[in-house]
Amino acid sequence: MSVFVAVDNIDKVFDLAGGGQYVALKGIDLQIKKGEFVSLIGHSGCGKSTLLNMVAGLDLPSDGVVTLEGQRITKPGPDRMVVFQNYSLLPWRTVRENIALAVNATMKDLPAGERRAIVEKHIDMVGLRPHADKPPEMLSGGQKQRVAIARALAIRPKLLLLDEPFGALDALTRGNLQEQLMQICEENHVTAIMVTHDVDEAVLLSDRIVMLTNGPESKIGQILEVDIPRPRKRMEVVEHPSYYSLRSEMIYFLNQQKRIKKIRARKTAAISRHGLEKVNLEIGFVPLTACAPLAVAKEKGFFTKHGLDEVTLVRETSWRGIVDGITGGYLDAAQMPSGMPMWLTLGGHENRPLPVATSLTMTRNGNAITLDKRFYEQGIYTLSDFKAHLHSTANQQHRMGMVHPSSMHNLLLRYWLAAGGIDPDRDVSLKTIPPAQMVVDLQAGTIDGYCVGEPWNIRAAEEGVGFTIATDLEIWLGHPGKVLGVREDWAAAYPNTHIALVKALLEACRYCANPANSEEVREIVARREYVSTDLAYVQIEDPNTSTCSLDRPMREYAHHQFYADSAINRPSRTEQLWIMTQLARWGDTPFPRNWVEIVERICKVGVFSTAARELGLDISYTRQPIKLFDGTVFNADDPIGYLNDLAIKRDFSIAEVVLDARRPLVAA
Amino acid sequence: MTTLRTRPARSLQNPWLSRINKQFPDIVPPIIATAIFLVIWQLFSLTPGATLPGPVQVVRDTWILIFWPFFDLGGTNKGLFWQILASLQRVAISYVLAAIFGIGLGILIGTSKVMSKALDPLFQLLRTVPPLAWVPISLAALRQNEPAALFVIFITAIWPILINTAVGVKQIPQDYNNVAKVLQLTRKEYFFNILIPAALPYIFTGLRIAIGLAWLAIIAAEIVMSGIVGIGFFIWEAYQNNNVSEVILALVYIGVVGLLLDKIMAWIETLIVPQGQKS
Repeated sequence: MSVFVAVDNIDKVFDLAGGGQYVALKGIDLQIKKGEFVSLIGHSGCGKSTLLNMVAGLDLPSDGVVTLEGQRITKPGPDRMVVFQNYSLLPWRTVRENIALAVNATMKDLPAGERRAIVEKHIDMVGLRPHADKPPEMLSGGQKQRVAIARALAIRPKLLLLDEPFGALDALTRGNLQEQLMQICEENHVTAIMVTHDVDEAVLLSDRIVMLTNGPESKIGQILEVDIPRPRKRMEVVEHPSYYSLRSEMIYFLNQQKRIKKIRARKTAAISRHGLEKVNLEIGFVPLTACAPLAVAKEKGFFTKHGLDEVTLVRETSWRGIVDGITGGYLDAAQMPSGMPMWLTLGGHENRPLPVATSLTMTRNGNAITLDKRFYEQGIYTLSDFKAHLHSTANQQHRMGMVHPSSMHNLLLRYWLAAGGIDPDRDVSLKTIPPAQMVVDLQAGTIDGYCVGEPWNIRAAEEGVGFTIATDLEIWLGHPGKVLGVREDWAAAYPNTHIALVKALLEACRYCANPANSEEVREIVARREYVSTDLAYVQIEDPNTSTCSLDRPMREYAHHQFYADSAINRPSRTEQLWIMTQLARWGDTPFPRNWVEIVERICKVGVFSTAARELGLDISYTRQPIKLFDGTVFNADDPIGYLNDLAIKRDFSIAEVVLDARRPLVAA
Repeated sequence: MTTLRTRPARSLQNPWLSRINKQFPDIVPPIIATAIFLVIWQLFSLTPGATLPGPVQVVRDTWILIFWPFFDLGGTNKGLFWQILASLQRVAISYVLAAIFGIGLGILIGTSKVMSKALDPLFQLLRTVPPLAWVPISLAALRQNEPAALFVIFITAIWPILINTAVGVKQIPQDYNNVAKVLQLTRKEYFFNILIPAALPYIFTGLRIAIGLAWLAIIAAEIVMSGIVGIGFFIWEAYQNNNVSEVILALVYIGVVGLLLDKIMAWIETLIVPQGQKS
């Protein structure tokens, strides 16, 4: 369908009383199709009402145009009727007279009888027949809003604009009215734009949800498609599989906006001290057992020891938060899944390459694949059992969870499935779910299994909702788990800080790896400010390797490896290259023709070596090929040949990835 | 049961007063207060060296005026009814003119920012000029007592009407204006469907203030402009003849008429201002 309403690159600038200017909206682009219901959501003052007013014509953009069916909007008109938040009924007119005023004013060419009929029809439509002759002040809030909706629909607008229509109503009334509005819109094929604060309301009513970032210079942060079929019923919508992910997506976005606002208000400058360029660092992490080096470095004073006096660890609930923190520039460094630096560098995030470097592998292993307990009960113990099961139930939708497209879990899970002849995109569908939510989703039955870091596999096993079908021992023993990631421009700006940070974390890694400290490390990691879980779920270097077995010893278990003399913390070019091939294999990023350069830029081996040398650690290193459980050897000299040899893969592209953009920090 | 028995016994003591109190609960307290006031006044007038007559003396001196308000002996020697009527006629003419011009100009100022900016300082200046100060200039300009008196009333009454109307028009909620804009109402439709109903409460506030001021101004104007029939000149004449009791009686009449005028305006307001717009 063609574009019905087009908001074309508009800016809105308000002149301030003091002579300054306030840029409310900047570069807003939005196309709306006929019959579509679009919601605008964002925090107060983000300019969503301003945007609506510009579509209404009550306000004009400072730059850019808004068009309706190709006609430029320059003034308000009845073809774009607005339902105002405070109803805007005329108190000296009855319900009928209020609607009649609109009808009489806009349909002058119709005979009076027909106009009267229209008014009566719309009074009935919103069920206000008994109140038709009452003045608005005798009606409840919900009834008033119904009058406003009837008035708006009575004049047959091409576009219905709703400005927080249900904001002032109680929850019950709001719910009823939402359903009524939805029904009316569906029956009359109304195209509508609604401004709202309410996340649930947006999901229930909209085809698309447009989320605006905070002002000044608000822009469209993200657009969500609501794929819930119509006609919708409130209860069915709540049970739809997409509902919670849409909802959490919006809540994440809104919270993120709040945080950015706070960060903007703080405006910290870099504090340099002890010969370091910056000692006030914000380091992001996700609550996992693998965050131990960060937690230990903070609690045991390794950061301070190396001069980093003001390190704040920022707890993110999902990897998404780490990505936004790094791209937004408000995190200095972050714990990252080992594929994330590559993924960001190759433009995995919004197709914008952002050079990110890693100089330290913080953990290896510690991952496992968990399946729903019912598979175990059906006698599925191995990958081939699982494949047979999938084939026998091909008509069912199988979903598996992973934490982020760039995480090792995703790559390992896909590799594992593909090695067993299961296409990870066609035979199952993979969903991105925050680690802490995995067990809950497994329990609720929305996913059949997942691949995630500890403690979430142990936890599923202990709680009896799942079982571990494969661990690192069966897939790739010693694979990189979490790495330290920083933006390349950050590394260039703060080279000494970077080395100090690697030193502190490397020492923390060594501390974690010492069996004598394992009880203390477990206790630190389980604390509220880190993983916040029961101590029993945090396992580190446990001599008993079969913790995961349930009623029978089933799995040997590869624990997190934080440090070893064999340079396991050294960033590995070969591993990065393998990750590069896997990302290309599954179509996440193109395979870069300049892969040698890219790998070189991502792996800051020099920083690691300097740090290790200054710590007096003897790090010997021998380059080894990677060999995974299926026996395939990864040859670092011919990645493209390797890719071509793989049986199950997507159509991958080979392209030059240009990494020159030194973008300024966005949020700072 | 005892309480039930004592209650009728108590109300039997003064059945007439209690029934009145029940039917008109607003009347008994002011009557009592007025009575107390009259008693105190009487007591003060009995003190040695009192210059003003007490209420009893006033009634004794002016009973002819009280009971024969309609006599007409020609010239300015007329009953109080005629005196008041003459004053009221002046007020009526000037007040209507003030209302017409005041509402008209008020709407003009309220709707046009340019006019508002241009005229507001002038109006703010003029409205603070007291009624008496207008008397000499209006006499100088109009040369005759009658039109000069009318002008003084007019110029006093117009400001509250004008300013309140302007505020009322300016304060029309943006929502109503937005509705008008979206519906693309014509100027006429806007005027009668939005502007007038929305501004009416303000206009009536202005009209009520103005009627009080007009009545106030007439007395001032008539006192200064000698030789015309009217309650103001009546006071002045009584004073000149040292008839203090008549002055006091006239004051009472003026007060009563002023009160009635205000009540009448309030009553008209309830008739005209639409439902849902009453503050």
